[in-house]
Amino acid sequence: MKNKYVFGGAIIVIFLGLMAYLFTQSNIQYENNFQIVKTKDKTVKATGAWVKSKNYEINKQNRTFTFYMEDEHGIEMKVIFDGTIPNNFESARSVVVTGKYTNGYFHAKEILTKCPSKYEGENVKASGI
Amino acid sequence: MVGSIVLSFALLCSLLAMVMYFLNYKGYKNTLNYGRIAYHAMAMLVIVAAALLWHAILTHSYEYKYVYDYSSSDLPLGFLISTFWGGQEGSFMLWLLLSSIIGIVLQSYSSKRGDLEPRVMAVFTLATTFLLVMVSPMFKNPFTYIWSDPMFIDIKNVNASLLSMPFLQNFIYSDGQTNQQFVKMTSDLYASLTSAGISVNQFIINGKGLNPQLLNFWMQIHPPILFTGFSMSTVPFAFAMAAMMKNDYRDWVKQSFPWVLAGAGILGLGIMLGGYWAYEMLGWGGYWAWDPVENSSLIPWIIGVASVHTLLVQRKSQNKGGTGKFAKTNLILCMLTYILVLYATFLTRSGVLGDASVHSFVDPGMLVYLFLVIFIGVFIVLGFGMLAYRWKYLSENIQTEESLLSRELALFTAAVVLCASAIIVFVGTSAPLISSAVETSFYNQMELPIVIIIGLLNGLSLLIKWKHSEGQELFKKSIPAGIATLVFSGVVIIFAGITNLMVILMIFATAFSLFVNLEIAIKIIRGNLKMLGAYVAHIGIAIFILGIIGSAVYSQEKDIDLVKGKTEQALGYDMTFTGWKPIDGGKKYAFNINVNKNGKKYAISPVMYISDYNNSLMREPAIRVGMTHDLYISPVGYDEGNQEAGTTVTLGVGESIDYKGTKITYTNFDQPDLTKMTSGQAISMGTKLTIEKDGKKYNIEPKIEGSMGNFSYVADQIKDANIKIQIKKVDPQSQKTDFIVEQLVKDTPEKVPQEVLSIQASIKPFISLVWIGIVIMVVGFFVSVGRRLKESFI
Repeated sequence: MKNKYVFGGAIIVIFLGLMAYLFTQSNIQYENNFQIVKTKDKTVKATGAWVKSKNYEINKQNRTFTFYMEDEHGIEMKVIFDGTIPNNFESARSVVVTGKYTNGYFHAKEILTKCPSKYEGENVKASGI
Repeated sequence: MVGSIVLSFALLCSLLAMVMYFLNYKGYKNTLNYGRIAYHAMAMLVIVAAALLWHAILTHSYEYKYVYDYSSSDLPLGFLISTFWGGQEGSFMLWLLLSSIIGIVLQSYSSKRGDLEPRVMAVFTLATTFLLVMVSPMFKNPFTYIWSDPMFIDIKNVNASLLSMPFLQNFIYSDGQTNQQFVKMTSDLYASLTSAGISVNQFIINGKGLNPQLLNFWMQIHPPILFTGFSMSTVPFAFAMAAMMKNDYRDWVKQSFPWVLAGAGILGLGIMLGGYWAYEMLGWGGYWAWDPVENSSLIPWIIGVASVHTLLVQRKSQNKGGTGKFAKTNLILCMLTYILVLYATFLTRSGVLGDASVHSFVDPGMLVYLFLVIFIGVFIVLGFGMLAYRWKYLSENIQTEESLLSRELALFTAAVVLCASAIIVFVGTSAPLISSAVETSFYNQMELPIVIIIGLLNGLSLLIKWKHSEGQELFKKSIPAGIATLVFSGVVIIFAGITNLMVILMIFATAFSLFVNLEIAIKIIRGNLKMLGAYVAHIGIAIFILGIIGSAVYSQEKDIDLVKGKTEQALGYDMTFTGWKPIDGGKKYAFNINVNKNGKKYAISPVMYISDYNNSLMREPAIRVGMTHDLYISPVGYDEGNQEAGTTVTLGVGESIDYKGTKITYTNFDQPDLTKMTSGQAISMGTKLTIEKDGKKYNIEPKIEGSMGNFSYVADQIKDANIKIQIKKVDPQSQKTDFIVEQLVKDTPEKVPQEVLSIQASIKPFISLVWIGIVIMVVGFFVSVGRRLKESFI
């Protein structure tokens, strides 16, 4: 019976240690305040909304996709993504970008778009037809 | 309504079955039959409810919110059927339906094996009860009417001929930004419609449709298989509970073994199909992204596989009588498998992964969140409470120590390593709970050494005898497989020029496992084929890992711009974009690329389209499947070239303008019939212009036609004047109109437009091994099921 605990215990201790270390190394925080995003030196997941009025730009030479995002306080930031416009982007209500803020823009390595599942009441205003 | 009533009765039956079975376990002999009747009544009611939901979907009954939200009238039959599980409510319904059917099998199975039935079924019906509460009108009911909560319905989905009804005008809204119009569906509107003698199904004539990413062949197969795996994971939990209830830990091992194996096989297949779907559909080139939703179904699978290993030890050590080894471990692992399935449900359904995952469901509300917490909490408390209650007895019945070099210990170590692997995925996947996340490198770095250990361990453990082996003997036995491993690994490493030490170790470990299993399998083929299961499964896993190494570590990728008609060279292929053609009735566009590799020619067509569903550009990759590698072409974008799209001019009535020597005068604007417009009837808005060219006068009448929310711009052209005019925008108040004016034959020859297709091409070496490996593994699982099923009669 002892062997069981020696083997199992040793493996678990090694892996838990390694895991705890790697977890802190590869840990990414979510941030929905762009004021903080702009000052952080670490990779973060910034969550906000696409600023539709500022449109987006697809640069084919450099293969980048540029758009503007704003957080709930209305703070805007420019986002440059290494890649092209993601599927579903146009209808995205909220966008999560993973990357770092440098040189006046957010350099995103990853984009995740969340789509609305239904039309929310507050966005639909009564019209006077 | 009927559906909800049927489900409510099913819930009552489920509760009744649970109580009756429990009473029977407590010694009331005559309640067993009531339990059985109640269970079968429940299962039948659930099947009826499922049939009702399918019926509602197939007959386009948009009075149900679920049908409106996830289906549409233009969906083909296959996708309509799979709409059933397209949303939250329906996927719970699918889970419930499959659980009910599996319960019927389980009831029959357990009734033939001693006094097992009341205990197993009492626990199993607890699970179905929770699922039934989940789909009850309180929570995620698929039979909720569309008017029960106010909801905005796009006006294009409403019967246009009914839009003129006066009472309706108070319910029409428009979005200030997009000018889209909606009807606010409320219970008031429902009452008005009913009093006007109009049914909701006459009023709402189309649904929102299914997300285009779900419109894939595998949508029809992957969810049912995955949920079958989920449903089957309830069974080992029920068996473990049953064992603890009776305080007898001997028979449950044999009895639950076929279920554990079959469940793990099916869940594994389900997970793989999800990966294959991602590879074929999503276009990012991979099959596994360590996405929390994928991970959450992987965790219970790994634990289930771990339990197979320790169950085997207990089963084997029972041969000489007694309970056998690792009884506690087995109880814990079997219960954890189901609890982790519930945890996966919690993660994906409660909204906690909202920002973290591509396919997590949106926030379902506090009530559902709490209910999911209670659901999982009850099973944890019940399972582990029972274990704590029996702990003393179990500890006193522990078996003797094993030798260091015994297969028992090797198998136990395998389970521990698998658990460690599951813990890694668990921790990473749960990170969003503390509003954080891990990079995928976390998983890759952690799992790599585990895979190496698993490979070596798997090879060794099969060479070690039960109870005890001598070191020397083990060494001797491993010589044939060892030599084969060294040769194979050497060839692969040199041929592929691999320098990464971890990858070398991984290839070595995997090859060792592969060859040991092959060696044993070949020996067995001549003997008892039923014994083959484990070896086949392990061979499958080894092939799968080799596929991962090839496709993940050695895939090459390149971004290419293909100018139409111009051949580009990349990754050893000559590629020529030859043009596009509409497919699927003009809904999608296929971009044809001729590929030539060393004289072998074929065409490959990635697809792009703008989806009506979400107004977004959707892309589908094209894959050329090969024995040694796949060529994977993911479309990025398409540029039609700089064709002149005409000049936009703004004119008020009576004004004129000169366009390339042609005088254009805006003479008249036809005011549309506004009452017609608001009532949703088709209207036509005309403009009249005169054109003077070379002294001749012409009349031209571009128009806007259509009905509310669905206008088309009809251009008009005069050949003799070489001009084409289209309306772009009309301001109804000032009647100022934007026109797009262009020449039919251009004066100045422009430069030839260049059509450019941008793609991302990649080569995935040996990716087919990933799929082949899993399929072999699943076959192995089922060979074992056959064998263990025979042994399960006690």
